[in-house]
Amino acid sequence: MSDLALEGLRVIDLSQGIAGPYCTRLLADSGADVIKVEPPGGDYARNLGPFPDDIPDPDRAGLFVHLNASKKGITLDLQTQSGRVVLRKLLAKADVLVENDAPGHLAGLDLGYDDLKSEFPQLVYCSITPFGQTGPYRDFVGNSLACMALSGLMYVTGDPDKEPLCTGGEPAEYFAALNGWVAVLAALEHRESTGQGQHLDVSMLESMGAADEYNTTMYSFLGAVRKRFYSRHHVAAYPADIFPCKDGHIVVIGGVSGFPTGMAILLEQPVLEQLILFQNLWMRAIEWRQFEEIARPYLLEHDWQEILTRAQELRMPFAAVLDPKTLLQNAHLKEREFFREIEQPELGRLPLAGPPFRMSETPLRHGAAPLLGQHTQELLLELDYSPEDTVILRERGIT
Amino acid sequence: MSDLPLSGVRVLDLAQVYAGPTCTRILGNLGAEVIKIEGLKRVDVTRGLVIADNNAEGDFWNRMGYFLYRNAGKKSLTLDFATPQAVALFKRLVPHADVVVESFTPRVMAQHGLDYQSLRRIKPDLIMISLSGYGQDGPWRDYSAYGMGLEPASGISSLTGYPGGDPARTGISFTDPYSGILGAGAVLTALHYRRRTGKGQYIDLSEQEAAIPVVGYALMDYILNQRLPSRRGNRSPWFAPQGCYPCRGDDRWLVLTIRGDAEWRAFCDASDQPQWAEDERFGDVLGRLRHHDQLDELIAAWTRQQDHIEAMSLLQGAGIIAAAVLDPKQVLLNPHLRERDHFETIDQPGIGPRPVPRQLGARFSAFEAASRGPAPKLGEHNREVLQGLLGLSDEELADLEAEKAIGDTPLFEAPIEAIRTDLEWPLETLLEMGALAALDPDFKRQLGID
Repeated sequence: MSDLALEGLRVIDLSQGIAGPYCTRLLADSGADVIKVEPPGGDYARNLGPFPDDIPDPDRAGLFVHLNASKKGITLDLQTQSGRVVLRKLLAKADVLVENDAPGHLAGLDLGYDDLKSEFPQLVYCSITPFGQTGPYRDFVGNSLACMALSGLMYVTGDPDKEPLCTGGEPAEYFAALNGWVAVLAALEHRESTGQGQHLDVSMLESMGAADEYNTTMYSFLGAVRKRFYSRHHVAAYPADIFPCKDGHIVVIGGVSGFPTGMAILLEQPVLEQLILFQNLWMRAIEWRQFEEIARPYLLEHDWQEILTRAQELRMPFAAVLDPKTLLQNAHLKEREFFREIEQPELGRLPLAGPPFRMSETPLRHGAAPLLGQHTQELLLELDYSPEDTVILRERGIT
Repeated sequence: MSDLPLSGVRVLDLAQVYAGPTCTRILGNLGAEVIKIEGLKRVDVTRGLVIADNNAEGDFWNRMGYFLYRNAGKKSLTLDFATPQAVALFKRLVPHADVVVESFTPRVMAQHGLDYQSLRRIKPDLIMISLSGYGQDGPWRDYSAYGMGLEPASGISSLTGYPGGDPARTGISFTDPYSGILGAGAVLTALHYRRRTGKGQYIDLSEQEAAIPVVGYALMDYILNQRLPSRRGNRSPWFAPQGCYPCRGDDRWLVLTIRGDAEWRAFCDASDQPQWAEDERFGDVLGRLRHHDQLDELIAAWTRQQDHIEAMSLLQGAGIIAAAVLDPKQVLLNPHLRERDHFETIDQPGIGPRPVPRQLGARFSAFEAASRGPAPKLGEHNREVLQGLLGLSDEELADLEAEKAIGDTPLFEAPIEAIRTDLEWPLETLLEMGALAALDPDFKRQLGID
């Protein structure tokens, strides 16, 4: 029986949506006891689907399960004083609080960091918001799209003659989740040596902006304003682009050693090796349409698997373009047992995206997500409420 | 600052390029001492990327923007693992380290006898993380992998693209920063466990797997309904209208999301288009979804008259999710990001001060996570590390230098003049091609760093 890395740590999770819940899911997977506190109507992500057969049901919401696996769930109306009393009892036994309300919202309920820090000096209080707790945009509303736009990453994504493009899958939410998770872990290390908790201010915009590769750097080092240019952000390393092939798409990347010989062999025209286009990287970057004309017909006649295998034999870092179906069927991911089945109440057995990294001594766990209010009774009894109290709290709409 | 959470933690950093160096820069900003190790024949390739002021004279490898951004505050040690002395020296360093970070393809560390099983015999509570494209086992383990290929391999590109078009990639190597920060959290988790139990461990991070959770919604739709998503450009699965609309000026855009009926009415008010609010096609969410194309035309006709920044403020004032699409220069000059110190100004010797984004989007109330200095020159800390930690004599150091096991100048295979030519970018040509939107000769003045 292996240990869990964060065993003994308790996290109170007030967050909803994507960023906060995925942050606490990472803590839960490592063994923290995460208690998800939902309003009696539930996290709004329970309404976002996807639902089996398109029948909406807060206990059968796919995205919610993905984001809240391995947690416990309690419902609590924090708009009421009675609900806040229960929360304070939970906090007395907790190490971390994660929330993603608009700046100042919880302070309005006497639950801001400054309201709690003297009572719970060891508490690590993590706030995740679109634009942070300070600055001229603090009260702006936002989502992943807005953060893609303001981080500059959207300006450099897409085709030059079309509108800027956002990346699929709400990426800023996930980047913010990771930043919140790292910040919480760092604050816990800090608490070990100082005994003190602290307030963490995580900005979704800055989490996305911190992922900038060298778009802002090109300005501060060259005075050059980068613009979106198809699927190749390394303009100096063409091709590094997604091409259509016979049965789908393939990422064509020459890599440091792919030109001129490797690519000429791959395209089954060894004579191409002699072209200046194949020998000179800037020539290739500038006259890229010539390369496209040469490569496209070959790619359109071959399957992605075959192209990928041959390119890799030639040590060129080509890659597959996978979608949900081909990810779930992918032989490599199968052999690594990436997708792992959970038994989810109301949904049955289903595969869940596995741990995003593997730890040799403390493997990450993957449990079910809580039904709405599933652990309310259990947690209230643990806080020394009597069964009669739990009924009163329910009758009054507190839980 | 002794009260940083990782003060006293030492990291040996063999990683190159993007993901691994991101991981170790975060650990460094949290207080760890990071010793970056490069071979003279195999220096970090980003020492050749985005050269300051496009000038490849002299020791250009110490003046690179890409390298500086991810390696600020680290120490530099050169060790060429092709030489047996270097492998032996590395093994002597391991007992002084808490964490080893590497990002080679899986066979490399084992080839040198530096796999985790070997290293833990030297240092039983060592934490080691390998960041690789596809992980340490499975049929694709030995695949050569660049960040540019892993975003598509993670499924994200299948969701990204214009309607009816090919899958598209983000304008960064998406999985690299994503895996870098994930790696930093994995190391922090392992340090937490080690403090509690005294045990180290090995972390296998596959960049492909790391980013798959980002497509969680689409995965679940396939699992529950066997339904595959179509690429929808900038539209939302949940809200309408949502999109990216042209504004006044050249290549200026505004994104917006209307989440409900009240926001729709607020939008019509704020944009002074009361007739839209009365149009019953758009009165309810289902109508707005069905008539998204017509709505886009109307909204674009309005946004074309607006400045993208002013329109953002106007609509945000009405409680609507609206954001200007900033170009990289506007990001650097953005008042919100500047007030929040999103950029760290690194004063790099030979270059002068340059702003680079912080690696964490989090602010700590109890300490500041910042780089503790500029990026190191190649081999800058050879003496400090090899004498300070291992006690090598001046003579031994001189011998290693003579054998080119250590040094301060890369051993390039190609003639250096050819390398210099490739490193200076044909910026005017890139501008003509459309890969650049503008070139500002006075950019330092504009950034206030002249």
